[in-house]
Amino acid sequence: MSWAGLFAVWAGSLALVAMALAVTRPNVVHALIWVVAGLLSLAAGFFALGAGFAGAVQILIYAGAIIAVFVFVVMTIDSGPEAIARERGWLGTGWKLPLALVVLVLAPAVFGLAATAGPGAPTPVSPVALGATLFGPWAVAVEAASAMLIAALLGARHLARRERAP
Amino acid sequence: MSLSPFLALLLVPMPAMGAFLLLGLGPAHLERRAVQTVGMLGAVAPMAVMLPLGAYCLAGVCDGVQPIFDLTVGDAVVALALKLDPLSALVGVTVTAIGACVITYSVDYMAKAEVPDQRRYFALMNLFLASMLCMVLAGDSIVLFLGWELMGLCSFFLIAYHVTSARAIAAGRKAFLITRVADALLLAGLLLLFLEAGSVRLDALIPAGIATDEVRRGLIAALLLGGALGKSAQIPFHTWLPSAMAGPTPVSALLHSATMVAAGAFLLARFAPFLQAAPLVMAATAVFGAATALFGAVSAVFQKDIKRLLAYSSISQIGFMLLAIGLGAPEVAIAHFVVHAIFKSLLFLSAGDMTQMARGTTDISAMRGALWARPLAYLAFVAGAASLAGIPVITAGWFSKEAILAAAWLAGPFGVLLWLVAMAAAVMTAVYAFRPVFVGLTRIDRPRPTVGGLFTNVPVVALAIATFAVAPLVEPMVAFLGGVPPHPPRAVELLGAAAPFLGMVMAAALTFVPRLSMRVSRARRLRSGIRIDGIYQVTFVQPFVGLVRWLTGQKGGIADPVGTLPILGAERLTAAVVRPFAHDPLDRGWSRFSAGLVRGWAAGRRLQTGRARDYALALAFGLALILLIAWGTTWR
Amino acid sequence: MIDLPFFLVASLVLAVGLFAVGLFGLMLRRGILFQIIALEIMLTGPALAFVAAGAHHGDPGGQGMFVFVLVLAASEVALGLALYLRLGRLADVADSDSVRTLRH
Repeated sequence: MSWAGLFAVWAGSLALVAMALAVTRPNVVHALIWVVAGLLSLAAGFFALGAGFAGAVQILIYAGAIIAVFVFVVMTIDSGPEAIARERGWLGTGWKLPLALVVLVLAPAVFGLAATAGPGAPTPVSPVALGATLFGPWAVAVEAASAMLIAALLGARHLARRERAP
Repeated sequence: MSLSPFLALLLVPMPAMGAFLLLGLGPAHLERRAVQTVGMLGAVAPMAVMLPLGAYCLAGVCDGVQPIFDLTVGDAVVALALKLDPLSALVGVTVTAIGACVITYSVDYMAKAEVPDQRRYFALMNLFLASMLCMVLAGDSIVLFLGWELMGLCSFFLIAYHVTSARAIAAGRKAFLITRVADALLLAGLLLLFLEAGSVRLDALIPAGIATDEVRRGLIAALLLGGALGKSAQIPFHTWLPSAMAGPTPVSALLHSATMVAAGAFLLARFAPFLQAAPLVMAATAVFGAATALFGAVSAVFQKDIKRLLAYSSISQIGFMLLAIGLGAPEVAIAHFVVHAIFKSLLFLSAGDMTQMARGTTDISAMRGALWARPLAYLAFVAGAASLAGIPVITAGWFSKEAILAAAWLAGPFGVLLWLVAMAAAVMTAVYAFRPVFVGLTRIDRPRPTVGGLFTNVPVVALAIATFAVAPLVEPMVAFLGGVPPHPPRAVELLGAAAPFLGMVMAAALTFVPRLSMRVSRARRLRSGIRIDGIYQVTFVQPFVGLVRWLTGQKGGIADPVGTLPILGAERLTAAVVRPFAHDPLDRGWSRFSAGLVRGWAAGRRLQTGRARDYALALAFGLALILLIAWGTTWR
Repeated sequence: MIDLPFFLVASLVLAVGLFAVGLFGLMLRRGILFQIIALEIMLTGPALAFVAAGAHHGDPGGQGMFVFVLVLAASEVALGLALYLRLGRLADVADSDSVRTLRH
C-alpha cells in the first residue's frame, strides 16, 4: 500500500465521475468542461503512477490540443437554448437499454478480475526509457502511427473544406 | 466305343422320330402321297430293326445296355441308355408290329376321313410310336419318363385331332389332365428312387429300391402304382379313356393296344422285382386290377357305342394285367399284354372299317348286317372278339387269360377271392365281346359285299391270323420272360373254359330277346361308368371352374382378387409411406421454407437501421456476450 | 487467483468504468458531437489500463501504448469533427439518427 497508489486511485475515481457527468450533460460546453476535468484528473493519476511523460502529454495534447479543437468546432455551431432542450429531450428517453447493456459489460469485467489486492507500489518509468523504447524497438510502430496522423489530417482537411460554388 | 449289336437299339425309335421331324417340322411342302409314304416307312422301319434284334435276343445273350451319353450333375451321373432284355425285346417287337399295322391301315382310313390334314396325323402317330419305343427300350428312368410324357402329349393331340370339334378338344384335355395327375405321381416315385440309388440306370434303381427301408419302399411303390393306374385308365382314373374315342379310330387302336394305356402295365412289369418287395402295394395292385377288370367288363356290356365298348374293354383287360402283376406273375401279364395288343388293335381296325361304311357313326347298331356288307372286316372282328372272350384252345386270348386266372387261383385264399372276381369279369367279357358280333349277324336289305383297299386288308388279315398263331406261343413267351406258366387243377381250367360260352349265351339273349336288349339300352347309369365322371365333375372340376371364375371376376365382386389384393396393398402402402413424401407436400414445404427465408432476410435487413446508436448497441451487446462467456469459463 | 497490488486492481476497475461510461454515452446520446466526446472517453479507459500496467511492471511499454492511444484519439477526433462539420454544412444536422443512409 503506497500513498502514490492511493492518490492515483482517488484521481481516477474523480475522472470517472467527471466523465459520467460529461456524457450526461445536455449542454455541449458543459460536457466539454467536464471532459477536461476528467482528463486532468487522469493526468494527475498518471503522475501518481510514476508515468510523468504520459501525464504531461495528457495535459498538453489531450486536454490542450484535442479539447481546443472541440471548442473550435462548438464555436462554429449554433448551441442555443433550443439545442440544449432538444438534447435534454433525447436524454430523457432511451437510457434504460444502454444502461442495462453497460451493466452487463461491467459486471463480468469487474467481478471477473481474478485477482486479490495486495501491497505494492507503482514503479516510476522515466521518459528516457520511454524514448529509448519508442525510437528503439518500436520505431516502425511509431512511424505507422505518424502516418496515420498524416492520413487523418489530410482526410479532415478534405472533408472540412468548403465546396466550390457549382 | 466298341461296336456292339446293341447299338442297333438306337435305330429302333429313329425312323419314327425321323418321320415325325420330317413331317412335323420339315419346312418343305409334301405331296399327299409323299406324306403317306414317309409316315408308313417311319412306322414300318422300326419293326424291320426290332425283329432281328428280337431274333438275336432269342438266340444269344439277351441282356445288354447301350449307353447314349452321360451327363454329370454334381455327384450324380445321369447315364442315358437303352436296354435290351427279354421284357423290352418282347414288348418292343409287339409295339413295332402293332404300330406298323395300325399306321399302314390308317393310310387308307385317313384318306377317307373328313379332316384332310394327314401330315399332322402321321407326324403325331410316328411320334407316338417313337415315344412308346423309347419308353419300352429305356435303360434309365430319364428316357423312360421322357417317352412316358411324350406319349401323354401325343395322346392329347391325337384325341383332340378334330380341332373343330369342341367335344374332341374337351376329351383330349381330359385325357391330358388326368394322366398328368398320374404323371406327377410317377415323377415323384422316380425321383425318390433316384435319391435312393444315386443313379438313373434301371439296373441300379431297382436293387437300390429293394434295399431301402420298408416305409420308403412302400411309398415309392405306391407312387409308381399311382402313375401306372393313371396311364392305364384304371379305377379311379379310368374316366378319360371312354372319352378318348373322340379321336380317329386308328388312334384309338394304337392308344389302346400297344402304347399309352398299355404303358402302365409295362411300367409295373418293368419295376416288378421292386414291387414284389412291397407286398402291400402288390396286394393293392391286384385288388385295383381285379376291380377294374370287373367294372370295365360290366360297363362295356351296357355301351351302345362300339368304340366306347372297346374302351371299357381295354380298361377291363389292363385290369387283368394288373391283377397278374399284383399276384406276382408279371410274365403272365406281359404275355397277356402281347395278346391283348394284337386282338385289341384288330378289333379297333375292323370295327373302324365297318363303321366307316356307316358314314362315321360308331353306334353298335351301325354294324347291323356287317357280315354281308363288309365280310372280311366282320370275320376279322369275330376273330378278335373270340380272342377277347377267350374261346378255348384255338385263340391266344384263352391262353393268356387262363394263365392269369390260374395265377389267381394258385395265390392262396386271397387269390381265390380275386379268381372269383376275375371269373365274373371273364363271363362279362364274353358278353360284351359277342354283342356286336351278334348285331352284325342281323340280316339287312340290299346286301352288297365290299372289301377295303390293300392297306386296310393287309394289316387286318395279318392281325387276325396272329390272334390264332400266337396261341401256342403264350407259354413259351412266359418261359422266355423267365416265369413258370401256372397250371391250376383241371376243374378250374374247365370252369375257365366254360366262361366264354356262358357269356356267349348271355350276349345272344341280350341281342335277340327284345325285352332284355331294351333293358340294356335303358341302363344309362351303368353305361356312363357308374357316373364317376359326374362325381369328378362335381368334386374337382366344378369347384375349380368356380374358383377360376371367382378369381377372374366373372362372378362379380372384385375382379381378379389375387391380382387386385397386392395392388390394393401396394396402394395402401404408398398412401401411408410414400405420399407424405410425394413431391406435392415436399415442394410445398420447400417453398414455404424459401419464402420464410425471404421474410427472414427482410426482417434481418430491418436490423440494419443505419443509426450509429443502434450499431453501438449491437457492439455493446456482443461485447457483453463475449465478456459473459469469458467470465463463465472462469467460473468455479 | 493471483495477488496484485491494490493500485493496479483499482486502476483496472476504473479503466473498465471509464470505458463503460464512454460506451453508455455513445449509446445514450444522439448528438454527433456528444458521441465523439463519448468515444474519446472510451479511449481513456484503455489508456489508463496501459499506464497502470506499465507502472506495475516498471515497463516503458505501457506509456508507449498510451502514446499510440493518444495518436488514435487525435486522428479519430480530427476525422470525426471534420465529418461533423461537413454534415452540418450539407444538411444542417446534429442528430446521428437522421444520418441513416450512406448516399444522399
